[in-house]
Amino acid sequence: MILSVAENITLEQTRQRVFLALFVALAVVLNTLEFLLPNPVPWFRIGLANILGITALFCYGVRALWLVNLCRIILGSLLVGRLFGPGFLLSLGGGILSAAMMSCGFSLGRKRIGPIGVSVLGALGHVSGQLLVAWLVVVRHPGIWLLLPFFLLFAMISGIVNGLAAHFLLNSLAGHAAFRGLRERLDILTGQQPDLHQQQSGN
Amino acid sequence: MRERMKLFSWLRYATPLDRKLLLAVAILVAVSFALPLRREDGAQVIATVQDRVVFKAPLNIDRTVDLQGPLGTTVLQIAAGKVRILSSPCRNKTCVHMGEVHQDGDVLACLPNKLVVHVESKTLAGKTGHDFVSR
Repeated sequence: MILSVAENITLEQTRQRVFLALFVALAVVLNTLEFLLPNPVPWFRIGLANILGITALFCYGVRALWLVNLCRIILGSLLVGRLFGPGFLLSLGGGILSAAMMSCGFSLGRKRIGPIGVSVLGALGHVSGQLLVAWLVVVRHPGIWLLLPFFLLFAMISGIVNGLAAHFLLNSLAGHAAFRGLRERLDILTGQQPDLHQQQSGN
Repeated sequence: MRERMKLFSWLRYATPLDRKLLLAVAILVAVSFALPLRREDGAQVIATVQDRVVFKAPLNIDRTVDLQGPLGTTVLQIAAGKVRILSSPCRNKTCVHMGEVHQDGDVLACLPNKLVVHVESKTLAGKTGHDFVSR
């Protein structure tokens, strides 16, 4: 099929919309899956859904990250039946601060910050935002900040895990023709070690 | 050594900036753990039963008091700058087993008897703390 330049732009936009919709859908699924998992400590969550947020950030930029994460929080809360409840406020507070930290990190460290760095920033933002909302709205006792060290430690670990997952997801996506330019951006990041991920044969 | 290599092998997927960031975050976490350990000693004991303050006393004067809760009498002891619950009418005696506390922000609680004991650094005189203490 022969496409004109204008049609190419339309095609690119459509592709982006379709993939963002897929990312949101996957993030909601991961969100729900994590909600269903038995959890020994109620407030500690891995935040698997953020993998898709990071992927959107590296594929399409800051606006895509906000879109994916906010949609995921609203749809995810709706699905597990706690939309506009106190748990939703905690998620939203964490989500907004997390997205803010990730956008700042991504914009400031442009072409030098990788998925792992962004993910750790996001995880830290998420626990800080959650504790802030919990302190302002739910608990109203400064003793809650004694929890912060444990949250920060857990956030660092889960941030690294999510960052690694996002790294591998991005590298496998970059082999696909629909994500043109992603391969180059990832190679700039890891330019110092070119033989880490074997170049997948582009189609 | 090979175990260490395996433990940190994922670091090769991180960019140099990522690694610096991770180091900074690790330091932040360590500092956040260290900070609450250096809490100052408390100066005042506040006991509440069902959210009503029933007892307030400085931590530096030894005394034993009986506090009435819905279940009965809980005996609170302040001795040598530390506070503890000597006896309680509750079944589990968790409050007795919590032992002695003395730092700012410490809490002793007996949930069955609705009793919560806080240790705070503020004195009865005001929020500024002691000018001096004499006995």
